[in-house]
Amino acid sequence: MNDSKDERFTPSVQSDNAADGQENTLQFEENPIPRWWKWCFIATIAFAPPYLFWHHCGVEGRSMVGRYEVALAANLQLQFGEMGELTADRENVVKYLYEPSWLKVGKAVFKANCVSCHGKDGGGLVGPNLCDDSYKNVKDIGDILKVLQKGANAGAMPAWEGRLSVNEIVLVSSYVASMRGSQPAIAKPAQGREIDPWPAAPIADEAESEQSEDQEMIEGSSS
Amino acid sequence: MVSGTITDTDFDEPLDSSGIGNVDEVESFSYDDGIVRAFAVATLFWGLVATLLGLAVAHLLVIPKMFGEDPVLSFGRLRPLHTNAAIFAFVGNALFAAVYYSTQRLCKSRMWSGLLSQLHFWGWQFIVIAAAVTLPFGVTQGKALAELEWPIDLWIALVWIGFFGLNFFMTLRRRRTQRLHVSLWFYIVTIVTVAVLHIVSNVVLPIDQVTSYPLFAGVHDAVIQWCYGYNAVSFLLLMPFLGLMYYFLPKAVGQPIHSYRLAILHFWSLALLFAWAGPHRIHYTAMPEWVSSLGMLTGLMLWMPSWGGLVNGLMTLRSRWDKVSSDSVLKFFLVAVVFYGITTFESALLSIKSISSLSHYSDWTIAHVHAGAMGWNGMLAFGMIYWLMPRIFQTNVWSEKAIKFHFWIATIGLLLSVVPLYIAGFQEAWMWGALDELGNLKYPDFVDSINAVKMMWWLRIVGGLIYVVGIITMTVNFVMTWLSRPSQYEVPVHRIDPVSSDASSGSSLGLLGEIATRLDNAPVLDAARSMERGMQLAWHQRWERLPSRFANLMLLAIIVASVIQVVPVFLVRSNVPKIATVKPYTPLELAGREIYVAEGCYNCHSQMVRSLVAETKRYGDYSQPGEFIYDYPFQWGNRRIGPDLAREGVNRQTSLWHWNHLEDPTKLVEDSVMPSYAHLLDTAIDYEKIVERVKVMERLGVPYGQGESESDAEDVDYAQLARDQAERVAAEVVSAGGTIRRGDVMTLDSQAVALIAYLQRLGTDLTAPPETKEETKNEDVRKQVTFEAGAEIHAVAKPVLASAARQ
Repeated sequence: MNDSKDERFTPSVQSDNAADGQENTLQFEENPIPRWWKWCFIATIAFAPPYLFWHHCGVEGRSMVGRYEVALAANLQLQFGEMGELTADRENVVKYLYEPSWLKVGKAVFKANCVSCHGKDGGGLVGPNLCDDSYKNVKDIGDILKVLQKGANAGAMPAWEGRLSVNEIVLVSSYVASMRGSQPAIAKPAQGREIDPWPAAPIADEAESEQSEDQEMIEGSSS
Repeated sequence: MVSGTITDTDFDEPLDSSGIGNVDEVESFSYDDGIVRAFAVATLFWGLVATLLGLAVAHLLVIPKMFGEDPVLSFGRLRPLHTNAAIFAFVGNALFAAVYYSTQRLCKSRMWSGLLSQLHFWGWQFIVIAAAVTLPFGVTQGKALAELEWPIDLWIALVWIGFFGLNFFMTLRRRRTQRLHVSLWFYIVTIVTVAVLHIVSNVVLPIDQVTSYPLFAGVHDAVIQWCYGYNAVSFLLLMPFLGLMYYFLPKAVGQPIHSYRLAILHFWSLALLFAWAGPHRIHYTAMPEWVSSLGMLTGLMLWMPSWGGLVNGLMTLRSRWDKVSSDSVLKFFLVAVVFYGITTFESALLSIKSISSLSHYSDWTIAHVHAGAMGWNGMLAFGMIYWLMPRIFQTNVWSEKAIKFHFWIATIGLLLSVVPLYIAGFQEAWMWGALDELGNLKYPDFVDSINAVKMMWWLRIVGGLIYVVGIITMTVNFVMTWLSRPSQYEVPVHRIDPVSSDASSGSSLGLLGEIATRLDNAPVLDAARSMERGMQLAWHQRWERLPSRFANLMLLAIIVASVIQVVPVFLVRSNVPKIATVKPYTPLELAGREIYVAEGCYNCHSQMVRSLVAETKRYGDYSQPGEFIYDYPFQWGNRRIGPDLAREGVNRQTSLWHWNHLEDPTKLVEDSVMPSYAHLLDTAIDYEKIVERVKVMERLGVPYGQGESESDAEDVDYAQLARDQAERVAAEVVSAGGTIRRGDVMTLDSQAVALIAYLQRLGTDLTAPPETKEETKNEDVRKQVTFEAGAEIHAVAKPVLASAARQ
């Protein structure tokens, strides 16, 4: 019994090199496999069938794309839940110009899509300066919306209709309008014609937004 | 004697124990250590080269203009050279040194052919040199870790199978031992698996002496890359090094390995599961979800099998803890084994989908592979070479203190280069995914994430520098030891009775039935008795005399995994649903794509928007499998040092912006770490080459000239098509205020225009308006393969260009 045990755990090679004399180093000891090792291994294997079943049985919302759509809907709810589907008109651009919390959303859209041509703070790079009082294709605040939707300058300013949602276009229009009068780090010289100041906030909302910094800034610039 | 059942024709049985020899004859043989010395020198040399290259590319991240504007030394071309040097040159040579030293001793036999050993050595160094003279010049297959072009790949296959494999298996056949040691099991499966994976991942259509296109596009090409290309490399970094550990660690400790059972179980589970785990690296991509799930689950299952090596290594070291504190070689082994444990645990962790979504594309992956390569492979190789030095040079090591110094400095360098990368990875992943309370991206500007981790990139350079100092110390020690070698190496001649040493083990390992179990006299079922016999692993000891069984089982494992996991991706159409609006690239875009591949843009830019909210908010719609059907090779990428480009054409920049950005990215994005690609503005397009490439695409099945009669399709002048489109793109650049010519090259002739055309096309097909049937019928083939967006500008283009040219 003992002999056979020893035999079992002394694999073929007695010594790798007759000269180096460490005869036992290429043998193995007869230690058992650790219990935790065995059970962890079994657990990782046992995990597979339920996982596969759960995610691939075809129930809606469990697949990768399904979970993505759920997450996307939640995100949209967060962003536009209280505003609903806007119409792209001048009124809305003016309205959200005086709502700082929504200007933030416009700012995020601007940062993601516009900074490469108009500069981080709207000072202008390839595209024109958005902070001064001169505009190339805008005479009225509603025109910003048109430029965004249809593009301008033979496609140098791309058309964003279809690429951004209507809500995003309205909010980024408001944000662009709000940049007027701010001081960019690097300002491109004025292009186009100087135009009249933006219209004042609609009366109903004035009370709420009067304390906002953005509005003070805008009013300061237009006065 | 067991040899009664063995015939000469049985390949698996060692020839010398076959019983035909004279029993009284004593055989004498010696070992070939010259080849071990050669591979050890190569390991050190390439180790130094690889780490210095690593330092260079790490510098390019923080000082993009360090090497000026020379395209040969740009990040996209040097990084593949660094990874190839580290894996194939440094790790490869180290494992060959280990295999040549240990195999001879484990088989009690000299290598079968000294000539093959030499051919293997010089052949392998030639591969590395061939990599060094192709990759920096833009000769690449464009797939990470499978960059080397087809002639080199063929050569690798020849050296690996024809020189290395043949020599190794013939040595096994002529061994003077019955059973195979664990190390040899690992070597066998490495040789078989890497050969298969390498060949499958590099099946290409050669188009000239140095370039090729893959046979499959998009998702199919990706599945080949991740199940074969990447797996070949992870196999190379894992399996042979476990074999190395099983030989050298117990040797250095002077104690047997902790557990034989564990060695068997973890070996087989690793070998059989490994082929399945490839797709765990590409969750949330356009890869079919079931493939991704299988990859994740097998990735998780590999955790314990990998840790079998950790347990055996650590427990063996623990049996002589006293020795570890005084012996520097053991310290190297200890750190290596610990890093092995960390990285394999991390591998299992990273195969989980949600965690992978953070690590993929970020520095986390980079940290992971550096922990593996520098910690596990590097430290193990260093320890092995220090252990070998007195033995192969037959003299005392020049300085023990230098070894100690190297150990500490290597450990510090390792930690200092890996930990900042982990921090950078977490930071990037967090910034890319962070949404504010309104559900908007918190850091919409990609460059913010670059600025946030620049400090970490600097720290990593410091760590790398320290690690390199360690290798230099080692080199000095190595050379000084070599200088004190004896004038002539002593070659000990070993004598062995060819039969006697095996006879005893042979007889006790006869048929299963002969083995006694403790249940023999117990009142249990026969089944219990045979189970008990099975548990005694005698069956495995018999297997250990059959190397071809290991090889065959390994082959079988790969075939089974491929049939179940890979083949359906190709055969089942629903895995890659067709999208009607996806059209082949125009000839000019094709040329632009070629530039994109050659410049190694995929090293920093992915083309894969994953189905994650933060990602679609940043880049646009998530990528779909059908979008990539004309992508030869696929360019999904695995790192985002710059933003994803999969939707670059949909909502991004004007052509002038691209033009200026290629000339000097920092002019437009102040903190950009992208190098200047001004040379693309100064180099002319080769229009004739474009025609050739379109023909190759046609051979691959891309429908150019579809819907036309054959004679019409022949007549299409693809060069003219490309020129027309180049003119339109150039007009966009010029009319928006760009230059009409730079030096001798007109804007419309420059390679930059082709690249811009390609970038403007990216991702646009998904939302392109569908063609009506009538249009398709009547439409000129030219229109089919050109893009419509520039059509209006075309009218404006001619006069603008003409007037500009007059000035």
